[in-house]
Amino acid sequence: MGKVIVITSGKGGVGKTTSTANIGTALALIGKTVAIIDADVGLRNLDVVMGLESRVVFTSMDVIDKRCELEKALVKDRRVEDLMLLAASQRNRKDDIKPEQMKDICERLKEEYEYVLVDSPAGIEQGFHNAAAGADEAIIITTPDVSAIRDADRIIGLLQNQGIDGINLILNRLSPTLVRKGNMISKNDVLDILNIDLLGIVPEDTGVIASTNRGVPLVHNEGSPGADAYMRIARRITGQNIPIPEMREDNFFSQIINWFSRKN
Amino acid sequence: MDFRSLFTRKSKTSDIATQRLKLVLTQDRFDINEESMKKLQFELTQVLAKYFQFTMNSVSMSLKLDGNSYVLMADIPCGRINPEQ
Ligand SMILES: Nc1ncnc2c1ncn2[C@@H]1O[C@H](COP(=O)(O)OP(=O)(O)OP(=O)(O)O)[C@@H](O)[C@H]1O
Ligand SMILES: [Mg+2]
Repeated sequence: MGKVIVITSGKGGVGKTTSTANIGTALALIGKTVAIIDADVGLRNLDVVMGLESRVVFTSMDVIDKRCELEKALVKDRRVEDLMLLAASQRNRKDDIKPEQMKDICERLKEEYEYVLVDSPAGIEQGFHNAAAGADEAIIITTPDVSAIRDADRIIGLLQNQGIDGINLILNRLSPTLVRKGNMISKNDVLDILNIDLLGIVPEDTGVIASTNRGVPLVHNEGSPGADAYMRIARRITGQNIPIPEMREDNFFSQIINWFSRKN
Repeated sequence: MDFRSLFTRKSKTSDIATQRLKLVLTQDRFDINEESMKKLQFELTQVLAKYFQFTMNSVSMSLKLDGNSYVLMADIPCGRINPEQ
């Protein structure tokens, strides 16, 4: 029996979809069986971030309305074995799906896959409740700014209320240089305020945009700071004890090394 | 121009952000609605009524922000101790 993990944030645009794509791919790369679900009905994005948009034929809505079997609606990843995507319907609205229906899909998928990741939409309305309905655990994504952290706190409260125990945090887009200069809230302050366990830190990485442009998740680009961060996060999810390294600033030399080792 | 500003460092914006966050979160986390507050007041006075004699409508209760945390302020004018106690 697998595990359903909802990836959520409250605030929009903080990196839920990026994280779902990369953690899902990373888990599959280390040999796990994975299904990722786009729960952002009406505003789907996970398919394009994964580079699978041309393969999507059916969506979770078709499964719910019994137009197609669940197995048939799953899209196989182009690069990694045992990685499947269940896309969201673009024509429907978030309240066209009920929490019990999403829960049912999650429950069926976790019988086949070791990890089922659900990419939640922003907000605290129906779309969020649908995404969280079948979750055993949750990953909260936040960026180090006041409004994202405030919304994360709200979401944590709602998830705890739902009885979800394993709630972990990913701090995304951290810039060590800005933290040092005193212009960005530090990791310790975020943890102190939110009071949940840290699953990992993902640095600000321009590679994220390039990888979204290509439709190839960052983790395929081994050696970039974001890719390494997501690989470590995936290993921690599988239970490996991997310490969270202190973030290094990009100095002149590391920039030169990056420049030479860049795979374009 | 205040020449002291040349020597005293401006306070870090990250510290300002952390302070503001702490305040806003204490407010969010204690955003208790009117109805729950009334219920709390009722249940609390039920217990107190076992020990003290007082009139229910003389009781006033509120949550007040004190620095970085909330305190429950209860104003309950008490009469005599209940003889059974
Ligand atoms: N670590 C990072 N470094 C640089 N850019 C990033 C990083 N993480 C995310 N981004 C960028 O931020 C934008 C939003 O990311 P993403 O779509 O994953 O957020 P989201 O939380 O899913 O948004 P929504 O709430 O709209 O669903 C994207 O353009 C992405 O490229
Ligand atoms: Mg998204």
